Amino acid sequence: MKWMTTCKVTTELASRAMDERLSFGDRVAMRMHLAICKNCRRFTQQLQDMRRLFRTETTANDDVPVLTPEARQRIANELQNKLDT
Amino acid sequence: MNTLDAHRWLADHGDYLFRVARRQLHSDELAEDAVQETLLAALTAQARYSGDASPRTWLTGILKHKIVDQIRRQLREVEIPRDADGEEAVDSLFKQDGHWAEPLRPWGNPQAEAELSQLRRVLDECADRLKPMMAQVFSLREVAGMETEEICKELNISPTNCWVLLHRARLFMRQCLELNGFSKVGAT
Repeated sequence: MKWMTTCKVTTELASRAMDERLSFGDRVAMRMHLAICKNCRRFTQQLQDMRRLFRTETTANDDVPVLTPEARQRIANELQNKLDT
Repeated sequence: MNTLDAHRWLADHGDYLFRVARRQLHSDELAEDAVQETLLAALTAQARYSGDASPRTWLTGILKHKIVDQIRRQLREVEIPRDADGEEAVDSLFKQDGHWAEPLRPWGNPQAEAELSQLRRVLDECADRLKPMMAQVFSLREVAGMETEEICKELNISPTNCWVLLHRARLFMRQCLELNGFSKVGAT
């Protein structure tokens, strides 16, 4: 276990921390690096910003994609076919 | 007997399912197919629907399986070039000693709906530019919110492979967003 990591390794740890709990050693290494590195602090914050944005449904109506009437009709027909059999 | 139910699913949840599918499949046509397959599967499986979850949650669960099926089919069709894993591109983001090659700029904190929806457009465009394998893993994790364990199993890749792909995808997404004005939008 290394106690001082590079930015590159820190981004690997920060990415992985988004998906699972890091080992104690990795957590310590990451925190020590973050304490002294503004760029990597920004990186970890931005990973969280990205996730938040991706998982937030926007309610603005201007460009919200919807099923076309044709597609809707086609699907309705398929459902009806299945119901009829 | 359940004619009403099936058609009501389409009426009430069709657009929502379409949006979820479209964001991951990046294609109107494939997304329409996924919605159709989902509703047909729901019709077959409705005896097993306990009513514990809302219909939308239940349908979305089925849809996720259909999306994964579709992604698996796409993966087989796409020939992944040798540098598809983007290792060299990742190296170029860092100096030899492992420090960032370029300083990172701070992002704003967008609150307004209009800003958010503009950012979402940029997000989707950047996601479209990821290498196929990276894009699939990234969107299953970040958009669909699947656990990495589940993703590995579904796509038949090793956990290590999955971490590496996610790490690279996140680095590229971040860079793409910064290059496309993320650091300016919403900054106060």
